[in-house]
Amino acid sequence: MDRVLTFVNSDRAYVRWGTIFLALLIGGVIWEIVGMQFNQAIMAPLIGDGADHPGTLPRLGRYLFDDEEYLLSLVQSIQLFATGFGLALAAALPFGIVLARLVMLRVALESYILMLYVTPMIALIPFILSILGFDFWPKVLVVYLFAFFPILYNTLEGARSVKPELLEVAKSFRSSELAIWTDILIPYTLPYALTGIRQAAGRALVGMVAAEFFLSTSGLGEELITASRNFDMAGVLATILVITGLGITFMRIAGIFEQKFSAWRGLDR
Amino acid sequence: MTASALNQPAQVKPVGSVFANLFWGSKFRAKATAGILILFIWQVGVSLFAPDFVATPIGVAIAFPGVITSNVFLTASKGTLFAVFQGLAIALVFGTVVGVAMGRMKVLDRSLNFYVGGFYTMPMIALLPLLTIWFGYGGDARLATVVFAAFFSIVINVRDGARSVPPEYLEVCKAYRAPARYVWFDITVFSSLPYLIAGFRLAAGRALVAAVIAEFFVSLQDGVGMFVLFNARNFNHDVAVVGVVALVAFGLMFEITMNWATRRFFPWYRRETKAD
Repeated sequence: MDRVLTFVNSDRAYVRWGTIFLALLIGGVIWEIVGMQFNQAIMAPLIGDGADHPGTLPRLGRYLFDDEEYLLSLVQSIQLFATGFGLALAAALPFGIVLARLVMLRVALESYILMLYVTPMIALIPFILSILGFDFWPKVLVVYLFAFFPILYNTLEGARSVKPELLEVAKSFRSSELAIWTDILIPYTLPYALTGIRQAAGRALVGMVAAEFFLSTSGLGEELITASRNFDMAGVLATILVITGLGITFMRIAGIFEQKFSAWRGLDR
Repeated sequence: MTASALNQPAQVKPVGSVFANLFWGSKFRAKATAGILILFIWQVGVSLFAPDFVATPIGVAIAFPGVITSNVFLTASKGTLFAVFQGLAIALVFGTVVGVAMGRMKVLDRSLNFYVGGFYTMPMIALLPLLTIWFGYGGDARLATVVFAAFFSIVINVRDGARSVPPEYLEVCKAYRAPARYVWFDITVFSSLPYLIAGFRLAAGRALVAAVIAEFFVSLQDGVGMFVLFNARNFNHDVAVVGVVALVAFGLMFEITMNWATRRFFPWYRRETKAD
């Protein structure tokens, strides 16, 4: 028994990759068996038999390579995400850096920003719905709200890390405003802001799906709702996979940038 | 006290009490001014540009006492809070077991890492249609969403904690031939407590959001989310805002309790978070 445990826990390459491969295989087989056991209205298998139990992977393939309507929804969703996220980025980053420069303003607004950061933005959707109605821009507003506060809050955290001595030295050497921004403020706040951006990417994705569910349905949210209303589990699972894939892609991209600039954080904070 | 501090003349303080000092301290004054300014802009902006039903600070303040004491609101908050706590408890127990197992045994870590990471990144809102079909349009779906949202952040943090147990402890265990259950529950769980707390905090935030989303989606009567949705649809925005304020208050209350509890029971706690 002990010898078996030592073997499976060892760091040899073939053991490591073997475990990973085996785990994926077992997961897939369990999914397949469970899917075949149940009615297709409750659970869909991974591969399926194409008749009574339509599979998830074939459906995913059809969605991505052979279904213009679905691709259109995907593009629609990405458009919504990109618009909301881009606007949030364009607003929150400069605002956060301005707060790093104007200490008084930062102190005054800090606690309110924290309060809005912990507010579940999802609870604001009913208000947006009844005030702004069904349109593209209300949905953008939802994504924007989900993304804005994580970015602002983390940039603010960076703003707090700017050492007042540095600003004083810059001032006593009559440094220009531009130099203060490019040499002190931006390098200090950027690593924190990037953490916020990664966080915001995850939240904005939730915001995107929520907006597509609860405001005018469109994009991937609509595909998901339609599939679940038709008890088409293969469609539901395939769409969930697509949304998860989107999330992983967005967070990976943000994560790469975060890694790249994390060294700027400095050791003595 | 340094010499320079001693040489300074004694500060002449105004004859103010602590309260006055607090009130006129520059920080508090700035904060209060900003708060009043925000409320003022909200009030004026809404009454100039927005339709009548949109919430204003004064309207919310008038509606506040009535709503807080109303039966509907109390049932709603009881439902949401109960579901969140129940879900967190379930996620905490199973999440800790799975997390410690993953941190201690490389086989489990290698085989489950992909699944845990994948489910952690999966936006829980996308799973709602699935969960409602499996658990029905009722409280069970909400509970399942909460557990799902909370479970994986706890697992990920506990795993990181269980991996970072100081190796000396484990060597001592080995030297004294301690049984595996001591190593797991007396050493690993306790030394990964800081990580567990960090994960639990993250989980609590996600759980609250999950409960509200599930209430929206399922139209669950006894939930704060539904309370907000119902009143917003009926153009009682002043009342609905009180629901949002309550949600924020729940989140803040939880943070404060956790802060107090960590300082009281785990004074050695270091702040190690894995952000979402």
